[in-house]
Amino acid sequence: MSPTLRILPEGMSLPAAEGAVLAEVLDRAGVALSLYCGRRGLCGKCLVEIVRGPLPALAEDERTLLARRGLPPKFRLSCRYRISADLDVRVPEFSRLPRMPVLSRGVEGSFPLEPDVRKIRMTVPKPALDSPVALLDLVRAKFPQVDLGASPDALRALVRAWEGGGPDGEITAVLFADRDLLAAEPGDTAGEVYGIAVDLGTTTLVAELVDLASGTVIDTAAALNPQVKFGSDVISRITAAFGATSRAAELRDVVIAGLNEMIGGLCERNHVPHDRVYEAVVAGNTAMNHLFLGLPVDTLAVAPYFAAFSVLPPIPVPASGLALNPAGRVVVAPNIKSFVGGDISAGLAAIDAGHHPGSFLFVDLGTNGELVLKKGARFTATSTAAGPAFEGMTLSCGMLALPGAVFKAEDRDGRTVVETIGGRPARGVCGTGLIDLIAAALRQGRLSPQGHIADPSKRIPVDGPVELTQKDIREVQLAAAAVKTGIRMLLEANGTAAADLDEIYVAGAFGNYLNVANAMALGLLPRVPAEKIRFIGNSSLAGARAMLLSAAERERCEALVGRIDHESLARGAAFQALFVEALEFKEWS
Amino acid sequence: MDKTTPLYARMAEAIVAGDAETAAALARQALDGRLDLQAAIEHGYIPGIRRVGELWESGEYFLPELITSAAAMKAALAVLGPALDATAAAGLSRGRIVIGTIEGDIHDIGKNLVSSMLSANGFDVVDLGADVKIDRFIDAAVETRADLICLSALLTTTMLGQRRVIERLRERGLRDRFKVLVGGAPVSRAWAAEIGADGYGENALAAVTQAAALAAARRTP
Repeated sequence: MSPTLRILPEGMSLPAAEGAVLAEVLDRAGVALSLYCGRRGLCGKCLVEIVRGPLPALAEDERTLLARRGLPPKFRLSCRYRISADLDVRVPEFSRLPRMPVLSRGVEGSFPLEPDVRKIRMTVPKPALDSPVALLDLVRAKFPQVDLGASPDALRALVRAWEGGGPDGEITAVLFADRDLLAAEPGDTAGEVYGIAVDLGTTTLVAELVDLASGTVIDTAAALNPQVKFGSDVISRITAAFGATSRAAELRDVVIAGLNEMIGGLCERNHVPHDRVYEAVVAGNTAMNHLFLGLPVDTLAVAPYFAAFSVLPPIPVPASGLALNPAGRVVVAPNIKSFVGGDISAGLAAIDAGHHPGSFLFVDLGTNGELVLKKGARFTATSTAAGPAFEGMTLSCGMLALPGAVFKAEDRDGRTVVETIGGRPARGVCGTGLIDLIAAALRQGRLSPQGHIADPSKRIPVDGPVELTQKDIREVQLAAAAVKTGIRMLLEANGTAAADLDEIYVAGAFGNYLNVANAMALGLLPRVPAEKIRFIGNSSLAGARAMLLSAAERERCEALVGRIDHESLARGAAFQALFVEALEFKEWS
Repeated sequence: MDKTTPLYARMAEAIVAGDAETAAALARQALDGRLDLQAAIEHGYIPGIRRVGELWESGEYFLPELITSAAAMKAALAVLGPALDATAAAGLSRGRIVIGTIEGDIHDIGKNLVSSMLSANGFDVVDLGADVKIDRFIDAAVETRADLICLSALLTTTMLGQRRVIERLRERGLRDRFKVLVGGAPVSRAWAAEIGADGYGENALAAVTQAAALAAARRTP
């Protein structure tokens, strides 16, 4: 008769093999334990209470862990406990693996907190007189089955830490991906472990300071990308860097300076020393991450527009230029192909694309208009070079979504009423406002579906001095046609229709303000039931954060990009005809 | 007013309406009626395409309308062209143009539009397509005895190829043989001047005007 294990407070019972490790049985039963140190009995995060059943004597380190946590003697490390008889176990909340929500809204989904960077407190007593084992080997002995790597810098830190670690040789080892010893610190600093998630946007940089012990976002900072002085769009920056090494270096320097300013602010405001920040995950499009790494962008400048890398192993902090602990690592979210880059792979991670059971379309409505279609097991990506019209650029009255921007327009009592960000007087129109205004003008007959303004003044008044010109309308037609054609060609290339999609995820500049009905009226998105549209906001940042908080998420993201095919729109013979047809503001499905 | 006037008006209308079927049908009518074909083109169809240009300038017409009008013109010329004798055809042709998108650039909608509009406006167009190597432009111009080389580039990176073509023409001692017209989204009058091009076409219609001016200048010794 095999022993029965009863798990509390769930109340479930199941048979367990004699000699089985308790943590493994709990895991199989679906109870997610925090196995922070990889079941080596070091971190104390898998402690459970033996309510009824055999209570083997406490091991030395177990006793120390219980004492430090102030726990009663009935607790044992589940990663060490072997089942020998019937057992009732209570798994406390603090030993359960926290699950982090991915996006604040729009998509349900979570992943377990298992960062690449882990800090593990341990005691390393002096070796025996008759067996002077090396310090690194003493540490390595605590991590069997792993050939723990250590650089000379890490070794230096280890020796210093051990020397400062008191009579018990108490140190905190800093590990990365269960593979490298990055550093060591004297005493117990295990609770002070932080990381930075970065959305390396073409226009805006966003950085989050994340507590890697709890998984919480402590603070966020956003700033204009200093590279805008070289051009507002990716192509102008590529041109600036193309074949001009000094300009490329400048582009790199300014963005790194911008990021470091944000990181500095985040650390100072929250009293986190820079050297407690061990990792950054940077998600940006292909051109952005090439410029960040100081790579030539020449291959992106001319057809066939290919990148220098897709998946890149984590790089040492000093090579990245970021002001974090120099022993740490920087992970660059992998590029998919060509211009479809790390911001998109991170976005796909944020929606757990690899596990999606059906088919979806992912649309990033920004300058590059990236699209990813999943149909069955196949992923196809493309970029439509929609142009910055949706970010308010290239329009006479266009602006970013800042105070004074008209972001919404509705028909009320026969008039078009607008709303501006911050309620300030209208200074211009941003992306979502454009869509609302054009939809309204179409409904009122002030604009023809061919994009022609009926009024002889050839203007559509918006509010005060702000008005849309004929040229503005043409710019939006071109941008919307690019996206629409991209979507249609992807659908056709995969033999599927918009109606067959389970979801359309909308990421990018629009946040959640986009009026879906209006977007469909313009033909920007295909007509599908509104509940299929999911706004995922800054999915690039959410994905970067997910990769920071979970090594498994990072690996999944890296594995996924290799599976994604690229469709080059311009090569399609049908492109021109479809594009020209798409210029008309018209619903489609 | 002779009896061809209503017919000419309908020919122009067909072009303005982008109605390829009617444009072709009217062309066949002119053919069957043994009318002066050269006059039909000059007084019927060409005023139509000119009106299209005006509508574009005023913002009423956009890309789709340009394309359908150019297609209508092409349909009419396809019927009339073979019937014109060589001299008449040569007389009608305002010049021969080699056009393409520069090496490294695969964008061609703009270039296709210019190509169509040039054909529609009476030029003999040799369209080399996209991603065309520098020397290929020159070789094709030499082979076909072109008057003009039109270079399109959509990216600031590939734009540099336009300068290269002009340098190559000089290197090959052929600079004076052809006029060079450049265009494309990132291209500007200043750039055209900087690289020593003969003209700059801001859009398809401007390209036609520029091409006409350059071609006419060539014919005047």
